[in-house]
Amino acid sequence: MSTDVTRPASEYRRMEESITMAPLEPVETGDDVNHELLTLNMGPHHPATHGVLRLLITLEGEIVRDLKPIIGYVHTGIEKTAEDKSYWKAIPVVERMDYLAYFFNAYAFCGATETLLEVEVPPRAQYLRVIHLELNRIMSHLVWLGTSALDLGAMSMFWYCFRDRELILDLFEQSTGQRMHTRYIQVGGVAEDIPRGWASKLKQFTDQMPSRVDQYKDLLANNEIVLQRLRGVCPLAEEELLKLGVTGPLLRATGNPWDLRKATPYCSYDHFDFKIPVGTEGDNWDRFAVRVAEIYESVKIIEQAMDGLPEGAWMTDDRKVALPPRHELATSMEALIHHFKLVTEGFRVPPGEVYFPIESPRGELACFVRSDGSSKPARVHMRDPSFVNLQATAPMTEGSYIADLIATLAMLDPVLGGIDR
Amino acid sequence: MSWTPGDEMLVVQRASPPGAAGGTYRAFGETLRGLKTTMSRLVEGPKTISYPEEKVPVYPRFRGRHRLHRFEDTGLEKCVGCSLCAAACPADCIRVVAAENTPENRVSAGERYAAVYEINLARCIFCGYCEVACPFDAITMGHDYEMSAYNRTDLIFTKEMLLDEPLERTPLRGEGE
Ligand code: SF4
Ligand code: SF4
Repeated sequence: MSTDVTRPASEYRRMEESITMAPLEPVETGDDVNHELLTLNMGPHHPATHGVLRLLITLEGEIVRDLKPIIGYVHTGIEKTAEDKSYWKAIPVVERMDYLAYFFNAYAFCGATETLLEVEVPPRAQYLRVIHLELNRIMSHLVWLGTSALDLGAMSMFWYCFRDRELILDLFEQSTGQRMHTRYIQVGGVAEDIPRGWASKLKQFTDQMPSRVDQYKDLLANNEIVLQRLRGVCPLAEEELLKLGVTGPLLRATGNPWDLRKATPYCSYDHFDFKIPVGTEGDNWDRFAVRVAEIYESVKIIEQAMDGLPEGAWMTDDRKVALPPRHELATSMEALIHHFKLVTEGFRVPPGEVYFPIESPRGELACFVRSDGSSKPARVHMRDPSFVNLQATAPMTEGSYIADLIATLAMLDPVLGGIDR
Repeated sequence: MSWTPGDEMLVVQRASPPGAAGGTYRAFGETLRGLKTTMSRLVEGPKTISYPEEKVPVYPRFRGRHRLHRFEDTGLEKCVGCSLCAAACPADCIRVVAAENTPENRVSAGERYAAVYEINLARCIFCGYCEVACPFDAITMGHDYEMSAYNRTDLIFTKEMLLDEPLERTPLRGEGE
């Protein structure tokens, strides 16, 4: 195939060339070559961008002067797709946004739908949700810790974290049937009860997890290189973060204890005794320490939830919402009719709109659902914490070294699947 | 903010600043402490699993490649072509074309049967909704996860492929293991 340069430009090529990048402020450089500005493109395929994030960086020497995140490389149109599916069918779709927090995505959506439907979720289902949500939080933090440490050059951390993450994924596989994107949380409860033997496996895990985190801390927390790379690097004041709408561990690192699990308890989080780790300075080291401390707290919540796990149903008995039990399909005509109705058309949701916020591993994850009374949502919108938190990259890193930008991006923990949706 | 945390807040212990006198200590002491984590892994032994020679057994609930089923006694297909699974599929990857059973050509136990039953595994998201939707237990999620192919069209599984036993069985573990 030959490339004919004289051929008239295609429509696409014209479109592409019509885009001009916003001009960057020229800095008076004089004739000193050391102060010349360099525009550098980082990503979208760069190992340190944690996904397909593209950064347009203006550098003066090694100092970051300007930074523009460019997103949209994994835009999947999930929000729009969800409008075309009945509520039941939208769950596994919505779940795939933030691929490290699938239980959270599903719960935000189901919680919003349950609020509109005003269905009561049985206590056992709530506890099972809490256990899986917290396992998911630990899993997400382990991925963050492993990849962040890798960015700082601590290769073995990556393997340790993924080894322990494997234990969690194993638990997910056993109880929900899938390691990722489990569709375990359903409107009105959870899909299945936990299987036999799961509780003891979970116990094994919660028993060993704190000592594993101790080992990680031994390796990282006081290491001179880690301190040099993280402590006092790229802080941002609490007011700035609040102005940008940043939530989660980033905000808590500055000392603001805003955690939705405590502030507006949902899903019986008020039954459990746990603390909110906060930092003081809001620099990268605090961001690191807060997340690591959160792992211990999550383990505590799981232990309490498992000890106090109530007996009873794990799905609401509201037949307008929940599928009838399988054994009834063969015997009861009414159950069969309900089953057909729910599978083909789905349940109808009374008109209204709701905003349902929960605390995901990265901050306030909320689902907005507007219903027009039909069996499909009229609008689904996710407030994804990674998307909002990404705005803080520029104010955090302006004037810092490019190497610190990498560390800050790692401590920011963005998940591009959630940002682009 | 209307909410005050009180003693539910836990301030993380701040590390001392890098460099200075402590820096020299940390360059040795803390590095050694870190090495303790690394070295004690030697005792634990490797965690690596040599896939594909060794396969991790899956749990009974694992949702792998679908299977269609027959009645064991009569050999008739359980699927009656009701298309409920296709209606439930969030990825719209099931195609069912139903046909009438005749006395000469009886395929399924019901009035009708699935003349065409295709699942496009390139689109399937393995949510298992088809299994939940099927009122006759005709389709279930099997345990096989090795499904890669060189061609997209090879990933469209037909009824015959789904009814057949898989070429190689995926190891399965018991519920409590
Ligand atoms: S597992 Fe889900 S996506 Fe796959 S065929 Fe069944 S319903 Fe469709
Ligand atoms: S597999 Fe089940 S749900 Fe699907 S067409 Fe056959 S009988 Fe109906």
